[in-house]
Amino acid sequence: MFEQQGLSLDQAPPIRVILRLFLIGSLWGVLAGGWLMSFGASALDPARSEALILVHMLTLGVLASFMLGALFQMLPVLAGVALPDPWTRAVRTQYPLMIGTLFLLLGFGLGGGVYYGLGTLFLLIGLVPTLGMMLARLGRVADHSGSSRGMLYAVFNLLVLLALGVILAGVRSGWWGSEHYLALRTAHMGYGLLGWIGLLIVSVAFQVVEMFYVTPPYPTRLTRWLGRAITWLLAGSLLAELVSETLQKGLIALVMIGLMVHGGITLRRFSQRKRPLTDATVWFWRTGSVTLMLSMAVALGAMFTPVPIRAEQLAAVLFVFFALSVIFAMFYKIVPFLVWFHLNAQGYFAAPMMHEVIHPRYAMKHLWIHLAFILISLTAIIYPPLWSLAGGALLLSFGWIALAVYQAYDLYRHTQRTGERFTFPALS
Amino acid sequence: MTHRHLDARHLSHPEPLERAVAILRELDSESCLYMMIRKNPIPLLKLAEENRFNYLSREVRVGEWHVLITPNTRVDLTEHLRV
Repeated sequence: MFEQQGLSLDQAPPIRVILRLFLIGSLWGVLAGGWLMSFGASALDPARSEALILVHMLTLGVLASFMLGALFQMLPVLAGVALPDPWTRAVRTQYPLMIGTLFLLLGFGLGGGVYYGLGTLFLLIGLVPTLGMMLARLGRVADHSGSSRGMLYAVFNLLVLLALGVILAGVRSGWWGSEHYLALRTAHMGYGLLGWIGLLIVSVAFQVVEMFYVTPPYPTRLTRWLGRAITWLLAGSLLAELVSETLQKGLIALVMIGLMVHGGITLRRFSQRKRPLTDATVWFWRTGSVTLMLSMAVALGAMFTPVPIRAEQLAAVLFVFFALSVIFAMFYKIVPFLVWFHLNAQGYFAAPMMHEVIHPRYAMKHLWIHLAFILISLTAIIYPPLWSLAGGALLLSFGWIALAVYQAYDLYRHTQRTGERFTFPALS
Repeated sequence: MTHRHLDARHLSHPEPLERAVAILRELDSESCLYMMIRKNPIPLLKLAEENRFNYLSREVRVGEWHVLITPNTRVDLTEHLRV
């Protein structure tokens, strides 16, 4: 949160913008956990609408909320990109995203063009103007860091993902037909998992891992090329689908190898820290890196060799572990910093220290809940009745996060109401 | 002018900011924070700016920034820079 020049505090979004996105993301997570508890293994069956609903609760509800929150917060500080009037911009994104997701889930569950239509409409209204603005401003950055360049490509990929989603929604609601439905669905998944979620996380990692944990920097060639390589390979795979399935798989495989390399380097960086202090966020990162590598390895295996359907399920589940682990790691760094920083900027003498906003022990307990969720889910792949229990662990995990957001904001407001304002030394 | 030194080059974010702000609160017009850090600490500088401190930030070599902050607005901080 340091490097770019020209940042002004009033360009940073108000704290409640970020915290509300995180809270809504957490509540979607609670809902997803409850859904998995209720439907068990059938919520993981790709042929069933319950699975589509669960996947979109996690991607559009949980991940999009957390990742847009992180983008709103980090674009100014990591990329030097300021969005005008971030409060209004965030509101105009957040509520249509939430309403559009709800309608889309109704479409998956009940069918019918009306729900798909409304879902698509709200998602487009919420996301396209904001993403377009982010893309345009990121495109104008003169001197890109690995993070800002990766963010640029990730936002572009999200727009492609959205366009593919609209086409798929149209096919499902009968507005138009497509002989390429399965290919489009594969591309939609590829853009979502690899081009948007995967790329945004690894791009942010380029800067924050070094900064938060005092590690050596990532290799320059990786930070310079990974974002654009993933994006071009995904675009190539979209076109290659029409020509040759082998070529298409080969291009996707290269993307996966790129992400595996990133996971491996991240693990290595954590072992090279100059001050090897360990807190929950370090273990969240390590868990995320290991599960990313395993996910990509299993997916690569499943792509080129005949494997049981459970291998694909395992790859997808491992990818969810990766995304959630890193998001939790970032959450426990971002939220205490925001509360502390905004209060200090306002001059509150009694501003709590960062470890008082969310105590490290609270984060450590969450790590154990998260690891329990992972363990139960992995066991459930072999013994499916355990999926309901995994849903319970997921619900608890996001309930834990939601409570942390509430407590952090409550402490912030309490300090504002009762805290004595500090006057910095008088001007000489 | 007395210098309150803070070598934050091996501290992980956000510890440097916490320590720096604690020192800022104790400064008088005859003292300044002299901080060494790996990145330009934009949030700290903006916090200093909003509270009308006099500050200077300079990258003296790759990956090493020297940051000086004082409430004394008359002093030329470049004279205090040690490079």
